[in-house]
Amino acid sequence: MTKRSNWWPWLLGAWMAVVIWAAFYYAPAARGFKGESARIVFFHVPQAWVAVLAFCVNLVASIRYLRSRHPLDDARAATAARLGLVFSVLATVTGSVFARVMWGSFWNWDPREVSIVILLLVYAAYFALREAVGDPERRSSLSASYAILAFVTMPFLVFVVPRIYWSLHPDTLINARGSIDMESRMVQTLLGSLVGFTALFFWLYSLDVRLAKIRWARRERQGG
Amino acid sequence: MRASNWLSESLAVLAKDLRSELRSRVAVNAVGLFALTTLVAVAYQIGPYRIHEDDRPHLLAALLWIILYFAAASGLSRVFVKEEDAHTANTLRLAARPGAVFAGKLLFNLVLLAMLEVLVVPLYCALMGYAIAGVLPFVALLVAGSIALAATATIIAAIISRASGSGTLFAILSVPLVLPVLVFLIQGTRAAAASSEMAAVVPALQAIVSLAGVTLIAATFLFPVVWHD
Amino acid sequence: MGGRPPGVATRSTPPATCHESTSADSDNGSGRPEVFAILRAVKAVRVEFAGIAKRYGNRSVLTGLSGALVPGTVTAVVGPNGSGKSTFLNILSGLIRPTRGEVRYRGDGADLERQHWLALLGVAAPDMAVYEELTAIENLRFFARVRGLTHDDGHLAALLEDVGLARRELARPVATYSSGMKQRVKLAQAIVHEPAVLLLDEPSSNLDEAGHRMVANLVARFRLRAAVAVATNDPREMVWGDARIELAL
Repeated sequence: MTKRSNWWPWLLGAWMAVVIWAAFYYAPAARGFKGESARIVFFHVPQAWVAVLAFCVNLVASIRYLRSRHPLDDARAATAARLGLVFSVLATVTGSVFARVMWGSFWNWDPREVSIVILLLVYAAYFALREAVGDPERRSSLSASYAILAFVTMPFLVFVVPRIYWSLHPDTLINARGSIDMESRMVQTLLGSLVGFTALFFWLYSLDVRLAKIRWARRERQGG
Repeated sequence: MRASNWLSESLAVLAKDLRSELRSRVAVNAVGLFALTTLVAVAYQIGPYRIHEDDRPHLLAALLWIILYFAAASGLSRVFVKEEDAHTANTLRLAARPGAVFAGKLLFNLVLLAMLEVLVVPLYCALMGYAIAGVLPFVALLVAGSIALAATATIIAAIISRASGSGTLFAILSVPLVLPVLVFLIQGTRAAAASSEMAAVVPALQAIVSLAGVTLIAATFLFPVVWHD
Repeated sequence: MGGRPPGVATRSTPPATCHESTSADSDNGSGRPEVFAILRAVKAVRVEFAGIAKRYGNRSVLTGLSGALVPGTVTAVVGPNGSGKSTFLNILSGLIRPTRGEVRYRGDGADLERQHWLALLGVAAPDMAVYEELTAIENLRFFARVRGLTHDDGHLAALLEDVGLARRELARPVATYSSGMKQRVKLAQAIVHEPAVLLLDEPSSNLDEAGHRMVANLVARFRLRAAVAVATNDPREMVWGDARIELAL
């Protein structure tokens, strides 16, 4: 494990540095977008993706907790949610900035904007619930239950609302991902950024889980 | 072993809650007061004439559901907290099956919502001059939406009763989950107001029914965990 | 909404579901058969607990309790205030999870599932109240119905009388009762389904001398078939125990 932790973060750091450089210099300015504003997409899209990925990790850990009742599964769920909260805030902010530059206002009620904010609200609610419960076991099982409940209703926002929305409001907004046929260099940069942000998520996640394992082991020794 | 079935046990829970509520009138007072106050405030300030014709469909639909949901929330959230406050929760936990408890409480919340809608909707339409062309589609929306809202509210009420039990926590937990339902209800109401065709509300109705179904299934699995932990 | 006990105050022959006509050593002195008598084949259920420990943060309330509640015996759980008597009973009834250890309900030589043993368990405790807006008879009717029982009001009224509530009291909301009367309703709720395992936490609390005798009689009747545990500080109750679990602070 020590060998791994020696080079892995360095590689990640180098990768992200390359991604940042590529976002500004390698990828061309997108047509149809105002000036260089499209470049934020290389960060915004992966952040939104990680926010959703974190939600999925949280779901899996929550289900595992309800079966195993092991505190580490709860720690994994909480860690994923914490990271998910951070990334959904980042995604909302970057999306908002982009919307301001492109369309002149910070908020446009685009269905995807709304769904990332709802995800943010779910994470915030998750932590509000954890704060409100004193008993550790009950805290774990209640937050796991809430996470599962939230997860089953999420697809409706992400997939169904856009379809309904379009059918009732024909004057749609262009979604922030840009046109489908991107230039190859843009695609490469975007994919590289996606890989980088995903790796970043898993690295932060593993650090936190490792810490939780150490804490738990220490509590077990003290508890006897 | 048990001679009866789950249905009669759920009805026993419902009957007990209704009888209790009839005598103490806590939820009914809170909900009714909230609804009438907001209704009167909105009707007085806005009324049928102060909204521009173009904005009427959007605003009237949205306002109706805002009044309905927030009035309901004050009553729906208490359905488990009142058991914990009265120290009857543990007695109930040992006497009744979780499925029967959830179903009974869900039915109680449905009755509460139904009574609220019967009170508020006609008054709202009269005071705000809201003409709904498709009455049957609108009623279908009300039924489906009530089930979806009650299902979400009941499972969250159970969760908060095991936490701090506060109304604020209920609001925080329920807003992200109730928002999709409200969005569809508002859109569906707009469609029902504009057209008497059932087809106009079908997209919204489909979404609401599936949301209700998914929530009920998740709640059926999650409630025993929440109840017994 | 109907179903109030019949206006006629006299109690007729005991309902068909009750059974053994005992010798007339009832505490009400009228010589009529007690509803507490259990003749119907109550399943013999044994409650086994091993290594039960409970901690709240750094505070250890219970450490390593093992043993069993055996049908046909009364186990007295004794100890000073704060020693964990109520916590222990709550762990046995499944209301609290132990930090360590497990509880098993065994009937007919096999482990019972939670939904099965819950139906065979009766608990009366200070923090387990009954519904105050309902009358005593409505409370019992609810608890019977929700447990899937089909007792009629006559049977329920008889049970309430046996725990010492006068018939005229039965139609008043429990909120108007004295604490002793409320305790009696709690006890009735605990035994309405003739449980095979009976857990009583300070059962004589709030009761007068006659009430205490009623509880003693109740425990004696249930001892015949069920596994009974009584958590108490009261020396008069401690003597009921054939077995004893002592908890320390």
